[in-house]
Amino acid sequence: MNSHQFRARIRKSLSNEALQAALDANAERRVTGRITAFASLPDWRERRQQARAVRAEVIERLEEYLERFIKNAAQNGMIVHRAANADEAIKIFLEITGVQRRFGAPLLIAKSKSMVSEEINLNHVLEAQGMRVVETDLGEYIVQLRGERPSHIITPAVHLRRHEVGQLFHEKLGVPYTDDIPTMTHTARKVLREVFLTADVGVSGVNFGIAETGGICIVTNEGNGRMVTTLPPVHIALMGMERLVRTLDELALMLSLLPRSATGQKLSAYTQIIQQPLPGQQRHILLLDNGRSRLRNSLLRESLYCIRCGACLNACPVFREIGGHAYESVYPGPIGSVISAGLFGSEFAPLAQASSLCGACKEACPVDIDLPKLLTRVRAGKIPANNDRLSASRGGAGLTPLSKFFLEIYSRLATHPRLFALSQKFAWLGTFLLSPFRAQVRLPAFTGWGYSKDLPRFARRTFRDYWEGSRLNAGKVRVADLQVGNEKHQPLFVNKSTRRTFDDGVEQFIEEWTRVGGRVIRTSKDKVTDKVVEFLQTKGIRHIHLEPNVLDEDVLQKAGIAISRERDSEIRVGVTRALCGLADTGSVLEADGEGGKLLASLLPELHLTILNVSEIYPSLQDALPLTRSTKSAVFITGPSRTGDIEMSHTIGVHGPGEVIVFLAV
Amino acid sequence: MTTVQLFATCLVDSFYPQTGEAVVSILRRLGVDVEFARDQTCCGQPNFNAGLRASAHPMAEHTIRVLERLPKSLKTSEVCDIVIPSGSCAHMIKHGYIELFADDPAWLPRAQALASRVYELTEFLVDKLGVTDLGARWDGTVTYHPSCHTLRGMGIDRQPRALLANVRGATVVDLPHAEECCGFGGIFSVEHPELSAEWLNRKISNLEATQSPTLVVADSGCRLHIAGGLHRQKKPQKVVHIAEVLANQ
Repeated sequence: MNSHQFRARIRKSLSNEALQAALDANAERRVTGRITAFASLPDWRERRQQARAVRAEVIERLEEYLERFIKNAAQNGMIVHRAANADEAIKIFLEITGVQRRFGAPLLIAKSKSMVSEEINLNHVLEAQGMRVVETDLGEYIVQLRGERPSHIITPAVHLRRHEVGQLFHEKLGVPYTDDIPTMTHTARKVLREVFLTADVGVSGVNFGIAETGGICIVTNEGNGRMVTTLPPVHIALMGMERLVRTLDELALMLSLLPRSATGQKLSAYTQIIQQPLPGQQRHILLLDNGRSRLRNSLLRESLYCIRCGACLNACPVFREIGGHAYESVYPGPIGSVISAGLFGSEFAPLAQASSLCGACKEACPVDIDLPKLLTRVRAGKIPANNDRLSASRGGAGLTPLSKFFLEIYSRLATHPRLFALSQKFAWLGTFLLSPFRAQVRLPAFTGWGYSKDLPRFARRTFRDYWEGSRLNAGKVRVADLQVGNEKHQPLFVNKSTRRTFDDGVEQFIEEWTRVGGRVIRTSKDKVTDKVVEFLQTKGIRHIHLEPNVLDEDVLQKAGIAISRERDSEIRVGVTRALCGLADTGSVLEADGEGGKLLASLLPELHLTILNVSEIYPSLQDALPLTRSTKSAVFITGPSRTGDIEMSHTIGVHGPGEVIVFLAV
Repeated sequence: MTTVQLFATCLVDSFYPQTGEAVVSILRRLGVDVEFARDQTCCGQPNFNAGLRASAHPMAEHTIRVLERLPKSLKTSEVCDIVIPSGSCAHMIKHGYIELFADDPAWLPRAQALASRVYELTEFLVDKLGVTDLGARWDGTVTYHPSCHTLRGMGIDRQPRALLANVRGATVVDLPHAEECCGFGGIFSVEHPELSAEWLNRKISNLEATQSPTLVVADSGCRLHIAGGLHRQKKPQKVVHIAEVLANQ
């Protein structure tokens, strides 16, 4: 895309009223959500610098950590592939799916969110091969139905209003028109549930790979990520090769920043740690280079620290005006303007000119990437070219010839002070002649400046002219005579955290769990079954999916409640025992095990989980080691949710809409 | 007696000489001797930001040479602070030069030495001199726009606010969404006029919401831009540099 086309797209976006309405509607919320979430993390400044150091170290010795990751993942029974570029990735993908080919019907691929898949244009290729590919993230599903690309890396349909989605569902899915967001969400749930249950292959992205364990972490809110990694017989995880942390502690650090930055949550509804395939399942990890090694060896290396939270998009005043599509790249916004040129080549360099270098992106970045600096590097042509050589392209890509000419002249003048002073006189005369009666000059719109503002006349007497005279009449006062200020820098957030006692932890868990939309029913250890039975009876529920050895099953039978251990679409309630709870985020940890327990916390509309108060940990960092002995674990933080339509929080997408903790004292 | 070098900036020199005068008057009142090298021009930021590093180089080299020349009153062993009435130009000289000369062994040490002497005006007053009350007087309501490079580039915000808080007669009100860019961005305002106009309009409506007749800035770039927009829209509000407020008695 050349700069002329980019400018045209900017103008088109600005004059697109529907887009402007959609972007304006949630512009503030996209920013305030993040700021509010960080207020609950008193040491966020230190964490941010630690996170940056972690990412810098990983990128510094990337090959070493990748090797460690691959070795550990392979030992865990994952099948790891490396692809140098998009073509190779597609080839590997087709080799995996080729084995799965079934007769009579096209292969069904259920996808959760993956920017890497967008990067290699996976859907298009798979569809051309006769497969049926379904995006299952609500936002992605919407843009797929519209035949579009995501306009934001976290909220793909942020460019649309609810009535547009309602109209789309009406046309494409044959449901009556509605602009009620919960109704539309429910429609998507119904349609996509069928896809999850029958898909041959599940495809997901990866938020982090963990080198020391060989596991992968996937963060989602709707539950589709859990579905595609749990239900289909084959799971393929697409991962950018730079998305590594070394240890679980580092993962905990990153996860304290990522959801806060992305969606303003302390923890997303589902934080999965996947280490091994489930019984009867095949898991692949596809590591993609596609320019990342080249980027790593370039002056844009810092852009590889990115953890894809989208905060810089939300903070960016350019993105706010034009949305994601105008960038015409998989990666829009400030980070997109850097990595698009960095990964895909100089045709994306003009994107970097659309920034006032205001620095809002750097400020929002959870790993403190100096985006304004990187943008000036892209502008200066310091990008790796596609042919493996550092680009020799000249700077100023995307500038109009007039600006370039003016700036070159200005440089000449500025290095010749007398000429500079003389040109100031000419400039005064010029602007005076243009506007002899008013101090402000009205320039025509084509000058750019004249489009929306006037220009003051140059000063007749410059500061330089004043200087000599001003030396003479200097009145002097001593510093000591003046009041000396003793202002202290006020920290934005006050550290309120003190040492918490055990009981505090329980209370904090209840508070946080309730805040994210969960419910707590207190009981005692020996009364758990009675309490659950009582609950089920008041709801009139007679059939549950129950994890073994959690409740007294004789009591259940006597109460007339049937028990299943396998997935069954008719069952509305799943009952499990949580491995632990997290006090600071209000989360419970569930993992794979006998009797399809992972599904019991995923497929039914209502999930009941038993948690002992003694199993409540202060934070994620304390509990992550528990995942080491699991094949697939998930920290659940409230009910399944989405904000994909107008960022309106809607509960109960693909996972349970209601989660209740039976807290056993 | 402290001596400082004033880097007036090209915008003050060419458009707002009164800002430069105000700076000199403030500093002298505080007993600071001000030196101004007449051959200073532009720091090179417009070219650097546009990606034209080849032509930014000589501008930066020129600026370094000029500012390396110590005032005659000082001994060669003495260090002289550089005061700049613009967070943006200070940001360029302090941080941008390091980037510009990163792989130039001849110029990098000189850029680093210069960087350590650079102060934005309000930073110098509050952090270096420890002064927050200049005995200034300004009657009426004012509101402050923290320019992007001052706020996020230099991390300067409490200093100008502390200084304004002590201005007699002035009621300082908060500007809504103050931290948002006004849309100047140097050549950006010319290269992407439509985007720039959107932000400018938003800044102006936020200013109107304060009902303050005066917008105070610490950067002449934002002043040029916002004042130009106000004039185009025939709005009565005025934009002044904080130095002019502080010099007023």
